[in-house]
Amino acid sequence: MGATLILVPVVVAAWPAFSAAVVAAAASLGYQVAAEAAKEGRTVAAPQGPKTVNLEIARSEVVTNQLGRDQRMSVSKEGITVTFSRDARGKATLSVTGQGHDQESLRKLGEELSQAVVQQYVYQKLTDEMRARGFVVVEEETSQERAIHLKIRHWET
Amino acid sequence: MAQREFNITIGADGSVEVHIQGYKGKSCSEAVKLFEQIVGEIQAEQKTGEFYEPEEQVQYRIDQRH
Repeated sequence: MGATLILVPVVVAAWPAFSAAVVAAAASLGYQVAAEAAKEGRTVAAPQGPKTVNLEIARSEVVTNQLGRDQRMSVSKEGITVTFSRDARGKATLSVTGQGHDQESLRKLGEELSQAVVQQYVYQKLTDEMRARGFVVVEEETSQERAIHLKIRHWET
Repeated sequence: MAQREFNITIGADGSVEVHIQGYKGKSCSEAVKLFEQIVGEIQAEQKTGEFYEPEEQVQYRIDQRH
């Protein structure tokens, strides 16, 4: 073995790549995509009365052009709606809303989903970049703890 | 033919652990840089014995035939 690394991911993605990671993460945790829309008038309305928790994905930047500036995506499960968007600084943010849940449980659900989004983003980026460099994914499995294990190989001539 | 391999674990929280195999010296440093570029910030790095071994030299033999 040559080295062992521990890395903290930085998410720098255009909206299509970011929303693809949201879709994959949502599916892995049993959420369904409720809507993807631009801001003006087509935002998914949050139900009246429920609590809302706002979170951001640390070390994230959603790069976008002027047209895609206000894009957002909502996913939902069992009365919980999570809406992902990009704030004015370009950071990925999420708003978690749900009836009958306290702030703490909404925060936990939001953190679980945002971590899954980062995981899916890293997975997609790593496998794409490695394949582009001639590496082959020879093994792939997801553990019960939802960790993704990859074995990637390259034969040098 | 040298086999080069990465064993990667992407945790549920998005953190990434990479075991780099088959790379020595400078080529291992380049592999480390590659992961830094693709994933993000290196939080911890541990070089193993193989890192300090000399890199493989490719030798070509040219036979001159008359």
